[in-house]
Amino acid sequence: MHEHTSRTAAPLDAGLALQAQALTLKGRRGLPVLDRVDLALPQGAVLGLVGRNGAGKSSLIRCLVGLTAPDSGMSALLGEPSLELSDGLRARLGYVAQTPDLFDWLSGEQHLERFATLYPGYDERRALVLAARLELPLGIKAAKLSGGDQQKLSVLLALTHDPDLLILDEPVASLDPVSRRDFMRSLFERGHADAPPRTVLISSHLLSDLERICTHLAFLRQGRLQLFGEWDALVEHLRLLDLPAGSSALPVGAGVLQRRRLDDGRERVLFDARLADAPPAAGRALSLDALFEELNA
Amino acid sequence: MNFDIDPGLAVPIYRQIVEQVRRQVAGGAWRAGDELPSVRALALQHAINPMTVSKAYSLLEAEGLLERRRGMGMVVAAVQPAARPAQKLALLEPALQAAALQAAQLGLDATAVLQAFKHCLRQQGLEDDDHA
Repeated sequence: MHEHTSRTAAPLDAGLALQAQALTLKGRRGLPVLDRVDLALPQGAVLGLVGRNGAGKSSLIRCLVGLTAPDSGMSALLGEPSLELSDGLRARLGYVAQTPDLFDWLSGEQHLERFATLYPGYDERRALVLAARLELPLGIKAAKLSGGDQQKLSVLLALTHDPDLLILDEPVASLDPVSRRDFMRSLFERGHADAPPRTVLISSHLLSDLERICTHLAFLRQGRLQLFGEWDALVEHLRLLDLPAGSSALPVGAGVLQRRRLDDGRERVLFDARLADAPPAAGRALSLDALFEELNA
Repeated sequence: MNFDIDPGLAVPIYRQIVEQVRRQVAGGAWRAGDELPSVRALALQHAINPMTVSKAYSLLEAEGLLERRRGMGMVVAAVQPAARPAQKLALLEPALQAAALQAAQLGLDATAVLQAFKHCLRQQGLEDDDHA
C-alpha cells in the first residue's frame, strides 16, 4: 500500500496485468485530472476503483485503455504500452465505457454478429447463455432498450470473446441487485477450464458489490491515488482511532495514512497497524463503506 | 453446509469462511469426512471471488482441519489436530475484544472488569492460580 515506485521509469513488467507510472493528465485551465498515479496489478487480480464523482476514475480508465494520452507518465496493459496496443492484445481485452458504446440501429443479435467477425475468441454459445442469464432480449434495437438492458448488452459484448483482461467503467449502475449478482458471477467464468483467472478492473459506487469480488482496492480523490492495496490486508490492518484534543500524538510513523480534526476538537487518525507505531489493538476496524467515507471526509 | 457471508463486515470474507469452519468443526456440527461445497459452488452461491474461497480452504488445509480427497474435493479431516492452548485462546480473542470494547464504552475500570471475569471463570469451575 502506498508503495510509490521511484520516479525513474521502471521497465515494463510483462508479469503485471496492469501498470501505471506517475500517470498525469491536465484538464482545462491546467488543473490536474490525474496527478502522478502509480498502479501495479498482478494477473488474476480484481481491482475495484473507487472515488467520488469527478475524482478521475473514468479519466484513469481512458488513459489505461489508450483512448486518452496522458500529459506525462505511462501505463501498460499486459505488458504493452496503452498507446501502442497491438491487435493481438486488443483481442485479449474487454472494455465497457461508462456510456454504452452501442449502435442505436442494431439489435443485440446484430451486435453479436459483428463481434463474431472481429474477435477470434468469440463464442456464440457462451454469448447466448450469458444473454439468457442476464435476461437480455437480443431481438430489440439498442435504441429501444432500457438503460439497464443497454448496460447488459455492453457487458455481454465485452465478455463474449473470453478476454484475459476486462476493464469496466461503472458497468452496472442501472442494473437491479439480482442482475448484478449474475453479472458478478459471470466475471469469473472462463471459456476453458485451464484458462488462468481473468484480471478485472471495475469502477463503481456500489461498494457492497466490490466487497464481494475485489482482491484489490484503489481509492482516488481529486486525481490522486490515496490508497492502493490488497483488500483483505486493508480490512485486517487499517484502524481508525479518535484521540482527545491535545493528546500525545500517537499513533505515529509511516503507517499513518490520514489525520484530521473533528468538529468537537478531537483528532481522528487512520493508520495501518502493521506500520504505525501504535498500541496493539488500538482503534477500530473499518468496512469499505466506512473507509470510503473517511478517505473522502 | 451453509455459510453465512456478509461482505459488509469489517472482517475479510476469507476469514469469515475460515472462522465458520473452525467453529462448526470444534462444536461437532461438521464431522470427519463431511464434504464441503466446491470452491466454484460456494463462490457462485454468494457471488464472491473464487480465489477468496480457495484462500480460505487452503488455510484450513494447512491447519489440518480440512483435507483434499481425490474425486471429492474438500472434506473435514479424519484426525483433527489437537488444538494447542494458544490456538484455543486465539478462538476466544474476538469475545474478549468485544467485552473490552463494551467495558471501555461503559467507563469501567480494568480492575473491576478483571474481577468480574474471574468470577465468571470460577462459576465455570476454572480456578485462578495467580494468588496475588
